[in-house]
Amino acid sequence: MRPMNDVLIVLALALVAAAATAAVLARDPVRQSTVLALLGLALALLFAILQAPDVALSQLAVGSVLTPLMLLLSVRKVRRKGRADGRADDREQETGSAGEGERR
Amino acid sequence: MNGWLLAAALLLLVGFAPTVWGAASGPVRRRIMAQNLATLVACLAVLLLAQGYARPSYADLGLVLAVLGPAGTLVYARLLADELAGQPVRDRVARGLDRAMTPLAALAVPLVVVPLCVAAGPGRAMVKLLVIGVLLVGGNIVSSRALSGRRAGEKAGAADE
Repeated sequence: MRPMNDVLIVLALALVAAAATAAVLARDPVRQSTVLALLGLALALLFAILQAPDVALSQLAVGSVLTPLMLLLSVRKVRRKGRADGRADDREQETGSAGEGERR
Repeated sequence: MNGWLLAAALLLLVGFAPTVWGAASGPVRRRIMAQNLATLVACLAVLLLAQGYARPSYADLGLVLAVLGPAGTLVYARLLADELAGQPVRDRVARGLDRAMTPLAALAVPLVVVPLCVAAGPGRAMVKLLVIGVLLVGGNIVSSRALSGRRAGEKAGAADE
């Protein structure tokens, strides 16, 4: 049981390290969110292997659903706001140029 | 040497490691599919770990994961619907996963759950294992249907008409 447990711990640690590195290297938040979900899963597995199922339980709920949900919702909101601001800027420019035209 | 733990380690190495690569590269659809597959593999690994450590209460983790995994995939399918509908399934891995996901779940889940049921013997633990297995297969069918490129293709076809 002892050597098998060590192998499992090393394996889970390697998976966490790989997923965390991939999450750091991903630039786009949308693409990063899937890697973050996997990182949460790997961490939950690591906690289960280290005999901490209660920690793993909360990590699962937070890591696999809540983090991606918050990330995707905020990305959505920022994009919408950016689009609305862009439209407002266009309108301002149009009215501004029209005003200049009238002045002339 | 504990056979259950060995099986869990093998499952992590063969099943979970490739999904990390799949989720870290390629188009969005493939990433979400890899994440879906990862929840399935992680759930099966947790069940094997519970049996390996002789702690039936660890199976609760698998139960939570079987419920939350498809929920997470549906979150992606709902919030990234525009991005998923916009592009056809061009990636080879994504197309293969799209086709193989449900058969894979239907094959892998009994392969793990049935020996665990035999080891657990009749009783509450076995009922829990069977419920987890049914949830896993059902959740996989739901989430792969939500992600499948076929529906997007049909929508595009309907728009053309």
